[in-house]
Amino acid sequence: MSATATVAATAGSAADRPAGGGLVVALLLPIALVNLVGFLLPVFNLALISLQEVQASGAMTGGWSTAKWVSVVTDDFYWELLWNTIRTSLGITLATLLVSYPIALYLHRSSGLWRSVLLVMVISPLLLSAVVRTYGWIAILSDQGVVNSVLKAFGAAEPWRLMFNLTGVTIGLTEILMPYMILALVAGFGRLDPRAEEAAATLGASPFRVFRRIVLPLSVPGIALGSLLTFVLAVSSFITPKLLGGGRVFLLATEVYDQAIVTLDWPLAATLSMIVLVVFGIAIAVYGRLVRSIG
Amino acid sequence: MMHQAPTAMTIAEAGPVRGQGFLSLQALTRRYHDFVAVDAVDLDVAKGEFVSLLGPSGCGKTTTLRMIAGLVPASDGRIVVAGRDITAMPTYRRDMGLVFQSYALFPHMTVAGNVAFGLEMRGLPKAEIRTRVAEAIAMVRLDGREDRKPGQLSGGQQQRVALARALVIRPSILLLDEPLSNLDAKLREEMRNEIRDIQRRLGTTAIFVTHDQDEALTMSDRVVVMNHGHIEQIGTPEDLYERPASPFVAAFVGRTNRLEGVQQGATVTVSGLAIEAPIPKSGPVEVLVRPHRVHVAPHGAPPPAGRNRVDGTIRRATYAGNVVQYEIDAGSVTLTAEAATAGIGGLIPVGTAVTAAWAVEDTLVFGRPS
Repeated sequence: MSATATVAATAGSAADRPAGGGLVVALLLPIALVNLVGFLLPVFNLALISLQEVQASGAMTGGWSTAKWVSVVTDDFYWELLWNTIRTSLGITLATLLVSYPIALYLHRSSGLWRSVLLVMVISPLLLSAVVRTYGWIAILSDQGVVNSVLKAFGAAEPWRLMFNLTGVTIGLTEILMPYMILALVAGFGRLDPRAEEAAATLGASPFRVFRRIVLPLSVPGIALGSLLTFVLAVSSFITPKLLGGGRVFLLATEVYDQAIVTLDWPLAATLSMIVLVVFGIAIAVYGRLVRSIG
Repeated sequence: MMHQAPTAMTIAEAGPVRGQGFLSLQALTRRYHDFVAVDAVDLDVAKGEFVSLLGPSGCGKTTTLRMIAGLVPASDGRIVVAGRDITAMPTYRRDMGLVFQSYALFPHMTVAGNVAFGLEMRGLPKAEIRTRVAEAIAMVRLDGREDRKPGQLSGGQQQRVALARALVIRPSILLLDEPLSNLDAKLREEMRNEIRDIQRRLGTTAIFVTHDQDEALTMSDRVVVMNHGHIEQIGTPEDLYERPASPFVAAFVGRTNRLEGVQQGATVTVSGLAIEAPIPKSGPVEVLVRPHRVHVAPHGAPPPAGRNRVDGTIRRATYAGNVVQYEIDAGSVTLTAEAATAGIGGLIPVGTAVTAAWAVEDTLVFGRPS
């Protein structure tokens, strides 16, 4: 949505400039078309499906109905699901931020070969599918997994429940989303200036205060970008919550999956998808506001 | 430790007694693996003195400054301020103001916020911070721009903010790391005077790092010329210029003619020419003469003053308004002479046969390895 707005704005200003204007349009046209066909039309279609009348069997009658919207808005279950999703995703985003920030800062400050090595290490998890990594976490977190085996060896009577609950989902998603967060943070650290930190130190700021007054405020753009990205990915992920949640963790994305694939209630799945889209819209709006306020 | 503040005269002549300066660097050394960036530097600076560290890039001047600020740990030696050894003290306790070449302002804070930062770190009451920030901003003539962000200021204005920010904490020592290099020529000259005026008014001890000999000569009480991590010479600007301790200093501070010859007694022979040296000795030497101490007159005109004389022809004349530079071809050697211009028609045309002359006391002679 915002991407198309940008395209329109750029195309408009390009029209004001006769020289090169045609080139700008020509270069933007492919991505605009891809967005139109691959994103905007399907979203529009999704909105239409959410307004379809459906029978208990899952067959759509072809008639129109707002029943799904009414039931979603009036049923406390869905409100709780929404709240659950937002809270869990915010928690995952915060956890990802906390573990990624030191790594990103270190990466930002390293140089040469060492920096390349670190960067590869950060990116390499992305080469593995999230499914494979989730199974990896199952091997670590399950009752017979690595963690509990070690605990048992030290004499723990009961295994820790690290899977099939929110803890498992949070641990798994945090690790899976870390590369995105780290890359976004590093990209947003452009305003960090080691000289400014030195200046603050000469002015009497202890290392902690240098961090709080200089480093942290200057990395807000990176934090905002990374958090937006991680939040959106957390809200929309369903494989990891499904596998590590074991059907006991209810989130919007897993519910959409169940309704579309298991229950075959496409209009309900579409309605919930539209709600996810609204959540994204709000997240992007908050991000935009934050970035503008920094100037 | 009590230390009698030297008068302006003693500063100008010698600086404080060794090891007794308000700031005292004692065998200060910085090594990076096998490379010695700063090699056992000894320097004493009196309270209120303005001392420049001058040298080509890589000579160790910035590393020395950063060690004083505590941003680079010393590998060896001591840094003493007001009798207190601060070698191991962290930067934030050192109470020094540092002005960077890149300004290093805090981009997310306003001008007032930048200047207030050091005072906030000292936990001063809000009212006092406000007064002192206003004073400091007025001092660097930025009143009315308190609420601007650094990005909205010109380079000169940003450097003034950096100066105010460093001075508002009333630092024991003001450290300036090439603060003028990013400014254009005219602004640079303006800022030179401004920095010097403010420093003198506040009586702040200042260490100024520069590679620009003009800056060092015009601003400093004393100049420390550094090369390859060593101090080549410490002296007043006049000392350095008139009595350079080495050919390096002579060449780095001001321009100079450089001739190689062999000295026997009071006479140096440079490819057949005999040049009289002020001090007799013997062996291979380098002879240095400042271009503006070489006087030129065409043959036939009254001969120029100076017992050292060379005949030649003008090969090139470069007119620069206030001065004209003559390149004189004297057969085996080439000399550059510089003369003040005096109205229309005073120039000697290229190709004219001339006599170049300079005083024996303007002849600098250094021994050289054979």
